Amino acid sequence: MMETLSVIFVTIIKTAIYFGILMLHVAYATYAERKVIGHIQLRLGPMVIGPHGILQPIADVVKLIFKEDIIPSNVDRRIFTIAPLISLTAALSTFAVIPVNDGWVISDINVGILYVLGIAGIGTYGIIFAGWSSNSKYAFLGGLRSAAQMISYEVALAMSLVGVILMAESFNLTEIVNKQQEYWYGMFLFPQIIGYFVFVVAMLAETNRVPFDLPEAETELVAGYFVEYSGIRFALFYLAEYLAMFCMSALATICFWGGWTVPAFLLKFFPFLEIVPGIIWFILKVYFHIFLFLWLRGTLPRYRYDQLMAIGWKVLIPLALLNIVITSLFKYYH
Amino acid sequence: MNLRELLNKIFLIEVFKGLALTLKMLFSKSVTIQYPFERRKVYEGFRGRHALVRDPFSGNDKCIGCMRCTTVCPSRCIFIKREKTEKGMVVTDYIIDASRCIFCAYCVEACPVCALVLTEDYEYSSYDRKELIFNKEKLLKNWDEFTKKWPHDYYFNKFWQPPGIDPSRWPKTKREQGPIPIKRAVEIKREEQNESISS
Amino acid sequence: MNPENTRELLINMGPHHPATHGVLRLVLEVEGEVIRKCIPHIGYLHRGVEKLAEDLTYVQALPITDRLDYLSSMVNNVGFCLAVEKLLGIDVPERAKFIRTMMAEMARICSHLVWIATHALDIGAMTVFLYAMRDREKLLELFEMVTGARLTVSYPRIGGVRCDVNEQFLEELYKFVDEFPKKVEEYETLIDQNRIWLKRTKGVGVISAEEAINWGLTGPTLRGSGVYYDVRKFFPYDAYDKVEFDVPLGKNGDVYDRYKCRMLEFRQSAKIIKQCIEKLPDGAILSENSPRIRMPASPLKIDKKDIQFEIFIEDKTIEEFIKKFTDVYASVESPRGELGYYIVCDDSAKPYRMRVRAPSFVHVGVLPRLCEGSLIADVIANIGSIDIVLGECDR
Repeated sequence: MMETLSVIFVTIIKTAIYFGILMLHVAYATYAERKVIGHIQLRLGPMVIGPHGILQPIADVVKLIFKEDIIPSNVDRRIFTIAPLISLTAALSTFAVIPVNDGWVISDINVGILYVLGIAGIGTYGIIFAGWSSNSKYAFLGGLRSAAQMISYEVALAMSLVGVILMAESFNLTEIVNKQQEYWYGMFLFPQIIGYFVFVVAMLAETNRVPFDLPEAETELVAGYFVEYSGIRFALFYLAEYLAMFCMSALATICFWGGWTVPAFLLKFFPFLEIVPGIIWFILKVYFHIFLFLWLRGTLPRYRYDQLMAIGWKVLIPLALLNIVITSLFKYYH
Repeated sequence: MNLRELLNKIFLIEVFKGLALTLKMLFSKSVTIQYPFERRKVYEGFRGRHALVRDPFSGNDKCIGCMRCTTVCPSRCIFIKREKTEKGMVVTDYIIDASRCIFCAYCVEACPVCALVLTEDYEYSSYDRKELIFNKEKLLKNWDEFTKKWPHDYYFNKFWQPPGIDPSRWPKTKREQGPIPIKRAVEIKREEQNESISS
Repeated sequence: MNPENTRELLINMGPHHPATHGVLRLVLEVEGEVIRKCIPHIGYLHRGVEKLAEDLTYVQALPITDRLDYLSSMVNNVGFCLAVEKLLGIDVPERAKFIRTMMAEMARICSHLVWIATHALDIGAMTVFLYAMRDREKLLELFEMVTGARLTVSYPRIGGVRCDVNEQFLEELYKFVDEFPKKVEEYETLIDQNRIWLKRTKGVGVISAEEAINWGLTGPTLRGSGVYYDVRKFFPYDAYDKVEFDVPLGKNGDVYDRYKCRMLEFRQSAKIIKQCIEKLPDGAILSENSPRIRMPASPLKIDKKDIQFEIFIEDKTIEEFIKKFTDVYASVESPRGELGYYIVCDDSAKPYRMRVRAPSFVHVGVLPRLCEGSLIADVIANIGSIDIVLGECDR
């Protein structure tokens, strides 16, 4: 009994610390987005609050919390209020199985990848509910788009990870990272380059980012599914979006970039890299992916709805299948 | 489609070119002017807030009430109140409704004595509409506020003497209009200090 | 559900939608994402410019034309001036003609920059917006230097221009147009060959040459369909017959070709400005017999009659020209298309009727034809490609 209680207690403490650090990162990811996009566009981004606007995320959070909570008339009140919570809970839950260093994980379950994909799928419900309950045509269209988009790209996302699973012979995320160390190249990025490409494209679509940001296409649907939301509820959607970005970046880091490990061939040439702690490596790799999100947003236009579906079904899924075939053959003859 | 185009398509060459450009821009200098903290200098002759020129000698405005500005104004935002006295026509009030004005500076051109000016001052937004209806006092105050900021010793508006028209056809006052001397900001400050000491 | 009870979804796009370029309102009847019917509603920016002009003298009406197409107010002014000059039979001095041409081309670049900025933003390429605005800022500064205003310039005068240009202006302008093609290449790097851009624009909003003519399209929107028509070439005004330039033409008449036409016009405009600076002659900038704000010799002499007809045609009596003309039409090639002014005059210094043939108005009319059967995202691309300014459309 005591043991069970202590396990629960330790898990809660772990979760709280993880949650706190994660939220700080999310808050500063919004800052990073505004700064990076700003500088790409020859602007400065936030500059007023704090030196170089460093306190801007805190000001934003304070503002969003203290804003009047508006629920428009004629919305389906219950679903309208529950939708952002579903999105946020789903986005947060994925982090339960994501290890940030060797053994630094809240719950080391043996079907980690499946769990992440499954929970990410639940997040779609939040968006559909939001679009449906808002009683607004723009939100409705945004919700519909998002449902179709997420369902079709989840297939490609999962398919692209099959290659990794085949090579690692495990669903456990820690195991996948450790397995990569056994190969001389130390990262699945090199043998799985096609899988990585499919994963990156699918991850952009899965998190509703440019060039696949159709559900919230600003110039078509104004703001898409959360057009009627404001204040703290809007903030929850926003949080969920950024958490999804972090989740996908972490997944990419773990599955393709070797997580917190340094490739063996790099260590041979630069032995001093060994002193860098694993967590730093992990965070650097995650932030590279976050930067990729922002960089692409600053560069690319937006796809049209039918084109997006065509790419998902006609390009990405065949590519992922091809990748699976190649990997299987490789595995079979090796 | 030849091989090169095919390879370009497969390896997303044009996307990477775009990414390279944005990466280059990420590290180049931004063009932002942080507005309330730093201001762009407007060029001389910018058509901004209205003012009545304060005559450096009499300390009063120069308007003679000829109604030329009211007539020429396309948006009809200038109102002049005149009274007939023994001395002749006297201008009692001069009102410009700046919220109606379209800043064409026709009034400045039409004024035969160069009494009116659209200054280079562009920050005069207000929370109250009434504050945008400038009367004579406010217009003279605008001039004082403007000249305090003016960096030179003399002020001359290019619309006072419209180019393109033969100078011989300008009225004499317009022809002889030179740059108006401005009390230096330092002097104004000194005067204010003297006033505060004496009071 | 009983199919008799189903109906199409009606979407109100605008008047405060971020992509309808001002206050255009489109009522879209959609079936899923496919548009079955598209009805444009205009008039949200109606200020009655035409009616206002009837109450103003010719000189006074000029600043009002600024407010028609506020992105290229210089071209609007020039068009109005041309009409009145034709009416009064005024010859414009050579220098003024070149200055006007130069300024009109600057306005064209300005306007096209806003177009590429918003068009790219609508299709999602946000960065192009700010690069274009960066370059437009320089042009606006140059406008401010000479005219005293950045947007609503009121710079041309009936019979010439208002102020002379100085050396500093010409130098900076030359520097700008020298570097400008490189800047255009910058925008093109981001969108021109980009597969997403091509997918979004090629084969979207196709209109054939014949149909385009029947709809009355003009400007780059017409030239995108491959019709060679440009007021600057067909009815040269100002100094356009003294400079060399090409008229870029499209082929397929889709959004991409219209985009390409305007991108090529950037370079042609830069070329025209360069030639204007090189060929700029000396001399007067305002015609001798242009109507002007009359200045009596003695300022204190106030004549009641004098005040009433302050801004009058000085050297000609109205009766003299009324015998020659009762109405007049003059058109210019505005960045959007053929902008025409039709003025009917009576024996006063005010137009009896002024009618503006606004290209935006005509182009809004073709929008349903372009949009029907396409997707919601294509509506945005189509609005961008016909490049409308609602200030001009609603007048």
